[in-house]
Amino acid sequence: MRKRFSVFDFFELFTIIITIIVIIFSSTLILAIVLKGLPYLGEAFYSEEVRFSIKLSLYTATISTVICMALAIPTAYALTRTSFPFKKLCQIIIELPLSMPYLVLGLSLLIIFSSDFGKALKSMGFKVVFDKNGIILAQTVVNLPYVIRFIRTAFEEVDERLEFISGSLGATKWERFITITLPLSKNAIITTIILAWSRGLGEFGATLMLVGATRMKTETLTTSVYLNLATGDTGASMASATVILIISLISLFVTNWIGKKNTQESRMKDVKSW
Amino acid sequence: MVNSMVEIKKYSIQLGKFKLKNINLNICEKEIFAVLGRTGSGKTVLLESVAGFYRSFSGEVTIQGQQVIDIPLEKREIGFVYQDFGLFPHMTVYDNITYGLKIRRKDKEYKKKMADRMAEILSIGHILNQYPGTLSGGERQRTALARALILEPKLLLMDEPFSSLDPATKETMYQQIKKIHEIFGCTILFVTHDFNEAQIMADRIGIMVNGELKGIRKSADLFESYQDEEITEFLSGFQERRMCI
Repeated sequence: MRKRFSVFDFFELFTIIITIIVIIFSSTLILAIVLKGLPYLGEAFYSEEVRFSIKLSLYTATISTVICMALAIPTAYALTRTSFPFKKLCQIIIELPLSMPYLVLGLSLLIIFSSDFGKALKSMGFKVVFDKNGIILAQTVVNLPYVIRFIRTAFEEVDERLEFISGSLGATKWERFITITLPLSKNAIITTIILAWSRGLGEFGATLMLVGATRMKTETLTTSVYLNLATGDTGASMASATVILIISLISLFVTNWIGKKNTQESRMKDVKSW
Repeated sequence: MVNSMVEIKKYSIQLGKFKLKNINLNICEKEIFAVLGRTGSGKTVLLESVAGFYRSFSGEVTIQGQQVIDIPLEKREIGFVYQDFGLFPHMTVYDNITYGLKIRRKDKEYKKKMADRMAEILSIGHILNQYPGTLSGGERQRTALARALILEPKLLLMDEPFSSLDPATKETMYQQIKKIHEIFGCTILFVTHDFNEAQIMADRIGIMVNGELKGIRKSADLFESYQDEEITEFLSGFQERRMCI
């Protein structure tokens, strides 16, 4: 039987063409780094400086992600499930850094932690400016509004009636959160963790303003790319960029794998198109 | 003297453009009460109000003499079955049914015994290991009922519980609900737009028109003459359809 051509086919064709353009563009970007960086990759892994930057990046991104999640989950819950005065204003203030350039955020942090307050913290043993604590702080400040927004959206998508039913079955607010809200937002939360970690790994602007770019001290992978490029060592710079790329690719695959693994069973699972 | 289970006095609530106006209702213990009305007449809002879903309203809603919103949700002892059944999608049927027992820290054997009992009453033994996404409408409804009834609530609230079922399954479910009512002796308040269903199931029927509870009758007297024009118009539509059938 001949298939009739409709306007929907044109729409499908249009979306496929756009997708191909996007794939070509993204592949070119990735290939540009990989092809230039691969020859130097082996050498880079033997370099103490690159190994230091990998370790520092992994350490700071992990700690900042843990802090972000610990702060974002209760905040997102409060913003979606409780009522308190000036809630909308609070939400705007929390998400304001989303629209601020990271350099400006870093500058704000530098001003705060160079003040008497920062000096008092330093005298108590908590150094921020030009220290790895500053890297963690910069990554946290940059990522927190994103993480709160993602988790807030995830909580908003959980049907509140399910929590109500859970309550009517005897669950306290904490039990409702643990047994209903959190499991139903699990995929979104795991994805947010991985994205926050990847973003932490790639953070540069705010970190540069707060802790500078000092070799073997505050040298994260992105700082390594910047320092090596500034000194004309393109090979080392590309190698560091390739390491970032590999880590990002792994985290993206893990995100997709978790997403697939946690897909709930549905009667529609065998229906491919209609 | 028959004790009152639910008492609603001068209850009004505004939700956006919709308003529930001056509701007065008294439901006795062990009674089956149906709220009958067209889609959008405010039946679900009334049901949710009895469950204590809303915080801003005027008037009062009491369950066994206690203001419903003064009782913490987890201590209200109500079972709620939504129109779409509201099953927890990330749990199997067994976990859905035994959720209330798990929250009460009951041991494994007790949970198994109770789940088997509910499964037998509602004929869902074969789907205990399945997830809600793979169930039919009837199976979902029976799972939601089992989950609500396993705790033997004193009040069972159901929002159009039979609307998505085919006629044969509906008939079976009517019998099962009546059987449940006999076994557990709970008060049942349900809303429906189906007069036939209301008459088969309920002891008394309240008619909702545009956010107002216009009349309350015994099921057998549902079609006796009303002075209110809106009720007469509403019921005449039913009667015309009944004659066509």
